[in-house]
Amino acid sequence: MTLAPSQSNTMRTVPRRRWPSAAVWVTVAVILAVHVLAWQATEFSPAALIAGWEGMADFLAESLPPDLSVLGKSLEAAVITLYIGLLGTTFSIPSALVLALLASRATTSAAWAQQAARAVLSFLRSVPDVVFALIFVTAVGLGPFAGVLALVFHNTGVMGKLWAEAMDESDRGPRDALRVTGASGPQIALHAVLPTVLPSLAGLLLYRLDVNVRSSLVLGLVGAGGIGFLINQSIKLFRFDEMVTHILVVLLLVVVVDQASALVRKRLGA
Amino acid sequence: MLAVRGLRKSFGGRTVLDGFDLRVEPGEFVALLGPNGSGKSTALRCVVGLETPDGGEIDVSGNAAMVFQKIHLVGRRTALDNVCSGALGRLPLRRSLFCPHDVRDEAMRCLDRVGLADRALDRCARLSGGQQQRVAIARALCQRASVILADEPVSALDPQAAVQVMELLVDLAGEGMTVVAVLHQPELARNYAHRIVEMVAQ
Ligand SMILES: Nc1ncnc2c1ncn2[C@@H]1O[C@H](COP(=O)(O)OP(=O)(O)O)[C@@H](O)[C@H]1O
Ligand SMILES: [Mg+2]
Repeated sequence: MTLAPSQSNTMRTVPRRRWPSAAVWVTVAVILAVHVLAWQATEFSPAALIAGWEGMADFLAESLPPDLSVLGKSLEAAVITLYIGLLGTTFSIPSALVLALLASRATTSAAWAQQAARAVLSFLRSVPDVVFALIFVTAVGLGPFAGVLALVFHNTGVMGKLWAEAMDESDRGPRDALRVTGASGPQIALHAVLPTVLPSLAGLLLYRLDVNVRSSLVLGLVGAGGIGFLINQSIKLFRFDEMVTHILVVLLLVVVVDQASALVRKRLGA
Repeated sequence: MLAVRGLRKSFGGRTVLDGFDLRVEPGEFVALLGPNGSGKSTALRCVVGLETPDGGEIDVSGNAAMVFQKIHLVGRRTALDNVCSGALGRLPLRRSLFCPHDVRDEAMRCLDRVGLADRALDRCARLSGGQQQRVAIARALCQRASVILADEPVSALDPQAAVQVMELLVDLAGEGMTVVAVLHQPELARNYAHRIVEMVAQ
């Protein structure tokens, strides 16, 4: 019996198992090599963790039960932390808006202006808020004000970029329609782009508020006031039981802000 | 009056318009027909300045407005706000943040003209397609246009709404406006237009 030609063709076209190409092997080797280097550079050592477990056990023993006598002080400081995040967010609205309008191709046609605005945003974004805080502490001293300034600068960079992207994605049609009426660039931004993207901008603002409240905790650790500052003090004084109270309050703060901003964002539909 | 002579336009070496001529008198309604890609939209966009022609002459007496197939209103704003924005070209920036009173009055009259005065404060996203297209025409009126260029104004509308929009455009021509509409259905063109201009693909 002979196979019909079509059948033998189908037999032959059954895909054969293919071995990964050389490029895949090289990629895997490079990724492994980088991990080995990183392991060494970070002095990664499970042995050190096991050897030091006693220290950690002592620490845990000292920290429990939490010292609730500092709860009042802790809550007050948590409110300061919330305020730092709040002002850091709201005071960055004008600068983020101006830079976003300049950086977005939906609202700015001059390439040099777009590039300049994007460069400023990238710079502000790439300097961590903690670094800004350390700089401002030298100007205005330790305290919440330095934290607010730091957040305003860093958040302008992040929020400005997010806002510019939201504007970029806005539909081109309404912009064209207004251009036909003879509207100027700023008028088009005001009457076509902003009304369209406002819900997304508000959603991103709330998301940043959420992030900034958590950042202001870290800023407190470097001296910018609020509950982060209390945590730092408790650690320095070896009052781990106080520290646990502060951390519980932080947990509460983060959950409340997170839930509140999620709720508002949901209602905005953004 | 609209006069286009020898309009030329190509995109990246691909010629779309090669010497396009069109003359439309006030009071005239011209339908522009032609296969997809024959450059109908490009011709209209050149007239209103959304594309820069490579050559040719464009003469418009007065103001040219454009109406789009996809309508292009700001859906989150009210019908009245959208109509007001037709006036932006004659408002200085500092007066255009909020629509000034005189412009609002004028915009209300434009909405009334298209039969939608009662929907003035509704967000455009809540209006039907036909109503939205009439709001877009009201915006063109608020621009004080004497020439209306409509690029497939009824292609996305149901037949009833399409008839309403076509009748409105014919009426506006009857009042002395210069109207050009790209249409996809030849029978609509035969029923409503004074003259049909066929475009051919290059
Ligand atoms: N901005 C553009 N960039 C590149 N090609 C374009 C652009 N606009 C239109 N075209 C091309 O020009 C041709 C004519 O398009 P268009 O004027 O929209 O035709 P019509 O409206 O008659 O269907 C099409 O082939 C289209 O792909
Ligand atoms: Mg077209």
